[in-house]
Amino acid sequence: MIVAYIVVFISLCFFILPMIWIFYCSFRTQESIFTGKIISALEGFTFNNYITILSVTDFPRYFLNSVKISSLVTVISLIVSIFGAYGLSRYHIKGKKIIILGIFSTQMFPQVLMLIPLFLVIFTLNLMDSVLGIVLTQLILVLPFSMWMLKGYFDTIPIDLDNAAEIDGSNLMQRLIYVILPVAEPGVMVVAFYSFVVSWSDYLIVSVISQSQNTATLTLIISRLSSSLLIRWGQVCAVATLTIVPTLILFTFVQKRLIKGLTAGALKE
Amino acid sequence: MDKRKGYYLIIPAIIIMCIFTLYPLIDGIRVSFTDKSMLKTEYSYIGIDNYKQMFSDPVFWLSLRHSIKLTIIVVILQLIFGLIIAWTMKQEIPGMQIFKSIIMTSWVIPVAATVTIFKFMAQSDVGFINIILKSIGLENLVKYWFGDPKTAFSFIVLLHLWRNVPFYGIAFLAAMQTIPASFYEAAEIDGANAFQSFWYITLPGIRNMIIVMVTIHVLWTFNNFDFIYLATGGGPINKTDVLPVYIYRQSWVNYAAGYGSSIGTIMLLILSVYLIVYLIIQERGEYLR
Repeated sequence: MIVAYIVVFISLCFFILPMIWIFYCSFRTQESIFTGKIISALEGFTFNNYITILSVTDFPRYFLNSVKISSLVTVISLIVSIFGAYGLSRYHIKGKKIIILGIFSTQMFPQVLMLIPLFLVIFTLNLMDSVLGIVLTQLILVLPFSMWMLKGYFDTIPIDLDNAAEIDGSNLMQRLIYVILPVAEPGVMVVAFYSFVVSWSDYLIVSVISQSQNTATLTLIISRLSSSLLIRWGQVCAVATLTIVPTLILFTFVQKRLIKGLTAGALKE
Repeated sequence: MDKRKGYYLIIPAIIIMCIFTLYPLIDGIRVSFTDKSMLKTEYSYIGIDNYKQMFSDPVFWLSLRHSIKLTIIVVILQLIFGLIIAWTMKQEIPGMQIFKSIIMTSWVIPVAATVTIFKFMAQSDVGFINIILKSIGLENLVKYWFGDPKTAFSFIVLLHLWRNVPFYGIAFLAAMQTIPASFYEAAEIDGANAFQSFWYITLPGIRNMIIVMVTIHVLWTFNNFDFIYLATGGGPINKTDVLPVYIYRQSWVNYAAGYGSSIGTIMLLILSVYLIVYLIIQERGEYLR
């Protein structure tokens, strides 16, 4: 029992403290941070870091870019993977096993190898430095998991449900929207969360396709900020906090389902 | 049901995967036999020259060694600490529910943010780690931890642990909860101690989950690019260079796309061998049981 308490304490220090530390420092002045003390006098606290990044810098624009890109990735990934997973789950498709294996094995490919040809594809499609270019490329990061997850969910729904709906004269879209999706809602939520967060966190693809402020995302900006000379750490902490918070808020909504979904595959066998 | 509809449904996914995954992969392998540069459009086929160059390139071998070393160290440590945390979360002590709900936060936040947090904490003047060291009288240890050739690699390991260990813990816990309590009760009656019941009941019970987690994370760690690129860029003096970072540098900093691709192709080969060996072992395991 005592051992358990010690592990909990050390884990909290290691895993949680760093996040509290940057949250705390995002409210401190540059001078206060540079005193090299953990606790500073009351005048060392300020909202100026947030005020500055929100009003003086281009931060709001990058934030919007991130929101735009991640939302689009989420919506498209959901549409494509709902149809795809439903097809794989309900219909006889020649070479189904190979298709499934092919889609999942893409997860092991080195992204750095595909990056050059991807760059050329995006270039040829005239999508350089565009939101659509980034969205289309990021889809490959999320589609395999999304399809796997949703196919697993659809497989657990009895096909009688589909058949009954079909006899009642519903078409495919109606079946999906009124019969299947409500039952598979937890899976859909997990896929939406996963897609959003993976896109929100992506650095590699954005670093190559984004060339200007029009498409730069938070991950790109935050890494640039923290590797410049003369770093305003208070502002960096504020940017980091605002980058992290959306993912944490979404996480609290789906946490239980996410863990269930992520572990279900390994537990089934 | 109409059979053709099935094909219509999966076509969008197939098209996206073909254009943005299959084609780039094959084209990447093709480019590895050329002298393509990102600066110009024309290029020519040069056979296996890139591969010859690679085999006599000391930085390639160094990066390969680092990649393998990092993957092995990281996955083993994650496994051990993941088991410890899973075991802890199984104990019924007050506040455990809260602990479980906040522990996975480090896994959710963007890697770029994680790196920023740790870079800040490792700063020699304002970093949390050094403030603590100073306050306990270890001033001679104060330094920028990612900038010191001796500690940079360990700090990269630390970043990996920070992100993924809680996920291991939660996954193992989920697996542990499927083991019937009667197993443990029976072991207790037979006089097994805590370690024995962990070794003979818990570990075999979560065997599958361990295999899945290790497989996923070997691939993830070996392929991971942003932790090292953003934290150290491969430095100081190549101490943290790994294959993905070296490939990225070759392709996008030195513009040697052909050469970068040839290293990428070798990486793909290594991963394929790993996956094939894994599948063979899996099959054998199924046979034996």
